[in-house]
Amino acid sequence: MTDTQETVRSSSVGRLLPTVLAITVVLALFAWLVLPRLRPYQFNGTVLQSAMPVPDFTLTSADGPVSLSDFRGKLVVLYFGYTFCPDVCPTTLSDVNKALAQLGNEAEDVQMIMVSVDPARDDPAKLADYVQFFNPTYVGVTGTDDEVRSAATPFGIWYEAHAEEGASGYLVDHVATLNVIDREGHLKLVIGPGTGADAIAADLEYMLR
Amino acid sequence: MKRTTTHWALAGLAILMATSTMSCGGDAGLEISDAWGLPSPSVATTGAFFLTITNNGAEDDALIGATSPACGAAELHESSMDDQGAMTMQPVAGGRIAVPAGETAVLEQGGLHVMCINKLEEFTEGAQLDLTLQFEKAGDIPLTVEIRER
Ligand SMILES: [Cu+2]
Repeated sequence: MTDTQETVRSSSVGRLLPTVLAITVVLALFAWLVLPRLRPYQFNGTVLQSAMPVPDFTLTSADGPVSLSDFRGKLVVLYFGYTFCPDVCPTTLSDVNKALAQLGNEAEDVQMIMVSVDPARDDPAKLADYVQFFNPTYVGVTGTDDEVRSAATPFGIWYEAHAEEGASGYLVDHVATLNVIDREGHLKLVIGPGTGADAIAADLEYMLR
Repeated sequence: MKRTTTHWALAGLAILMATSTMSCGGDAGLEISDAWGLPSPSVATTGAFFLTITNNGAEDDALIGATSPACGAAELHESSMDDQGAMTMQPVAGGRIAVPAGETAVLEQGGLHVMCINKLEEFTEGAQLDLTLQFEKAGDIPLTVEIRER
């Protein structure tokens, strides 16, 4: 009696085995091929949902006035910094340059703009020399203290000069984020300082699609 | 048999002592490595040097200053992000960066750096700049800083 039962059980397992294997293979393929496409892209920066385009500004470059709206149709990467800054500013400008290199031809649809938060020391000509060292397509703009501050505020950027006892005279504390504005003029993404070139490139590439 | 073992052990000890004496020589056990700085345009008045200091000695020490023919002034600074998300930079507290015995002090991007104010030389990629670090106990240690992308 025991013998018969054993035979029946093993033969039913034998019949089920191919089906179980087939289902496993299909599930594995689904997980491997389809699931990654269903999962939304994970940005390295912080995504913002802004219904309104950011307010326009017009500041001064070495080649004359530059407005944010001049670049509608392109992604704008907007950074507020100053040429006296030795660490975070060159790192960021160089990282964006490396990210643009990764984008290849698509980089033509991205405009990097640096706004100087130190108008007293950064005139437009100096600023142009500074930013173009990192990438010849970069634009550097500045203005009066009032103009720069009203351009910065809508991005949540604030800055403040503080006197220093050493040889610097003064340094400027500044929010050192990269602000990415989409082709329609909406602020879509804020990338924090220290985000590497690869992560910046991935976010820009996704936004260019 | 027993005597042979003792001989080998003594020989080993002697070698060990010789090597440790050698590595203790030089700059009082301070080892500076990976000294570098980012390229920056000539119009940029400042630059930053990053490096790693390992104290292999038995005595605590501290970095208290720096000089460089490439800089009008060189200062010890610390960058940090304040509670409102702004990057800020200050001369280091107390004017010194401690390097306790057996420990490593890392000067790196976004943190501690030797700030080069009023650049006197070009910070172009591949440039080798002279820098002298001043330590509380070990005195002056000269080294070369390489200008390169990170
Ligand atoms: Cu500094």
